[in-house]
Amino acid sequence: MANERLFEEMTKAVIAGLPDKARELANEALHAGIDPLAAIEQGFKPGMDVVGEGFARGELFIPDLMMSSKAMQEAIAVLEPEMMKRKQHLQTLGKVVIGTVQGDIHEIGKTLVATMLAANGFEVHDLGVDVSPQQFVNAVREVNADVVGLSALLTTTMLNQEAVILTLKEAGLRDQLKVIIGGVPASPEWAKEIGADAYAENATEAVEVVKGLVQA
Amino acid sequence: MRANYQVNATTQFRVLSDDQIEEIFHSALNVLERVGTRVYGEEGLALLRDAGCLVSDDASASSADALVRIPSWLVKEALSTAPERIVVAGRDRRQRVILEKDKIYFGTGSDCPALIDPYTGEVRKYTYEDVYNAARISDALPHIDFHMSLGLTSGVPVHTYDRHQFLAMLQGTSKPLVITAVDKEGLADQYRMACEVLGGPEEFAKAPLFVVYIEPSSPLSNSIEAVEKILYAAETGIPAIYTPCTMCGATAPVTLAGGMVQCLAECLVGVVLAQLKRRGAAVIIGGVQSAIDMATSILSYGAPEMVLLSAAMTDVAKWLRLPMFSTAGCSDAKVLDQQAAIEAAMSVTIAALSGANLIHDVGYLESGLLGSFDMLVMSNEVIGMAKHILGGITVTPETLAVDVIEQVGPGGHYLTQEHTRQHFRMELWFPTLMDRQQRRGWEASGGKTMAERVRAKVKDILEHHQPLPISAEVEASLKELVAHADERHRSKAGER
Ligand code: B12
Repeated sequence: MANERLFEEMTKAVIAGLPDKARELANEALHAGIDPLAAIEQGFKPGMDVVGEGFARGELFIPDLMMSSKAMQEAIAVLEPEMMKRKQHLQTLGKVVIGTVQGDIHEIGKTLVATMLAANGFEVHDLGVDVSPQQFVNAVREVNADVVGLSALLTTTMLNQEAVILTLKEAGLRDQLKVIIGGVPASPEWAKEIGADAYAENATEAVEVVKGLVQA
Repeated sequence: MRANYQVNATTQFRVLSDDQIEEIFHSALNVLERVGTRVYGEEGLALLRDAGCLVSDDASASSADALVRIPSWLVKEALSTAPERIVVAGRDRRQRVILEKDKIYFGTGSDCPALIDPYTGEVRKYTYEDVYNAARISDALPHIDFHMSLGLTSGVPVHTYDRHQFLAMLQGTSKPLVITAVDKEGLADQYRMACEVLGGPEEFAKAPLFVVYIEPSSPLSNSIEAVEKILYAAETGIPAIYTPCTMCGATAPVTLAGGMVQCLAECLVGVVLAQLKRRGAAVIIGGVQSAIDMATSILSYGAPEMVLLSAAMTDVAKWLRLPMFSTAGCSDAKVLDQQAAIEAAMSVTIAALSGANLIHDVGYLESGLLGSFDMLVMSNEVIGMAKHILGGITVTPETLAVDVIEQVGPGGHYLTQEHTRQHFRMELWFPTLMDRQQRRGWEASGGKTMAERVRAKVKDILEHHQPLPISAEVEASLKELVAHADERHRSKAGER
């Protein structure tokens, strides 16, 4: 029963987007010897679902989403060492490597997509901006990525989305992962033309599309 | 005789008090001194270090960038040598913008990926021809005082697109220009082209043909391209706009005052860099300041926050005695609809009232993704209305018209008064696109909506307007300069 009360509070802390509170509750769970995985699955995660629905209904906004996801991430960080000890693994939906392509320093759109993916259960590796094709390839190898996300905001740099795909092919990695592109000059047609698997117009759509990609 | 009589020759408008401005300025100094700004590139870093900035080389050795803390006295010193007035003149040297306190000028924005084809209605990429046509439209509109490309030329080499674009702009209009440049080399090439058009660097020095638009990256970062461009501009005598696109709530604080503090700090880095390179170098501050839309994540170009921030930053710029680059005549709407008209009217009016110097982005739809000929032409009309309001009300014995009122007397009319005939052309505003017909007249003339009338005018300009030609000889050498740039890049790519 006590567990259930704690789980409820965890859910509430995520809904309200309170990272400090979430960390505190995660610690409390550790002290009480509660299974960390259960704390995440039954405590914190249901909060994210509520917030996601609220956003979809237009009742909640980006900062609500961001703060909730931060609360969730921080709770996981507290619980992680204990999960390692127990040899437990958080079920992630997949590993995503994301970045803004070479020559392009537009950052915030890519960051939004990365944060939303992380909030929705993906393991996300954000390489930042002005990322060369080789850097993408290296990161893909290193983390064994399932999905690569390529952001480009300029008609002049969107060509580098294609360059990454070609470099992935040369490295023999293209067939073992999915590529999704985004950013204002990109389009579903452009995705097709350069041999990407998908395109998404914004961060919320990106979550749905990437979920589809890893299930396929 | 009379005493203590004051006249408002224009409307009066202001957002911030002197005390509030000073507080924003001091906060920006505080940020630069304590938080600092990230600067990329050896030359800029060396200048800042030698001038007394605290430079922490905490970055990797491979990329020359560092966190720079700029002392307040250095900013103040830079402000004391940055010119408070700039004159820019088009290749028709009579077409001038005189950037002095409270003198307003409107112009387009640059580099949109797409346009709506005026003939097919299709949304498609900008071509060279479209960039040329955008310039011709600005050229034809009386209330557009300076021109930015509106669209980004596709179909030309990507590393030298700026030179091609500049050529298209030069061909299309003889008005003053604001250009963008890929990098320092692109700026240098465009400077050479401008000197070719004007007949030499002396003529450019007398009144520059263009201002270059350079952007720091919020929050508080200065890319190597931005730094190299402003240093080259300062050295060469090219006036530089050094302004960010701050998104309150995403790349700047969500509180508008905080957004202004950061935006101002970012602009001041440009002022300092330019003065360190060459005292007296012309820098323009301001920028696209708006908020992220918290439901869709776009940077809104139609938000009331953008309008308010632009006007408030104009107050700050005037107080600092620096020319101001403001934003108006743009919208988040996807086509020229009621939303576009509302957002254009709101932003143009307030920007005009604020007294900003270069008010840009006229013609932007879809938050800066669509450079619309329709929006440009419609906004020209809005600007005309706003300018009429700015003129305020002339109060003299002649305009008070007490004699005329007496002559007409109760129950008479003013239609046959000489006073009416003498003054109506000056006192009243004459629409060119607003429809004021009665219903039957309107129906008889086709019952056209504003959007339809606007489109007709766009086509009329495209089909008839001839810009001042460039001599065949000059045009040939401009094309040669562009071809050289392409060639240089091709051989560089070949080496790699
Ligand atoms: C802010 C901004 C900047 C800032 C960026 C600061 C930063 N740290 O990020 C600064 C001032 C530095 C900048 C610089 C430049 N910019 Co700029 N910039 C913008 C602006 C105004 C907003 C972009 C933005 O942040 N939007 C908000 C975010 C949240 O949206 P978003 O990026 O679109 O991302 C969403 C979706 O696209 C999608 N998405 C994005 N990435 C990904 C990735 C994946 C995998 C997926 C699935 C989805 C996805 O989801 C995101 C969230 O919903 C746009 C105009 C516009 N309307 O886009 C111009 C714009 C993109 N810039 C433009 C230009 C030209 C430039 C410059 C070349 C200017 C110059 N001449 O010097 C430089 C280039 C610098 C460089 N090398 O990259 C042009 C591009 C035109 C073109 N034809 O390509 C635009 C359209 C403006 C314009 N009309 O001139 N810019």
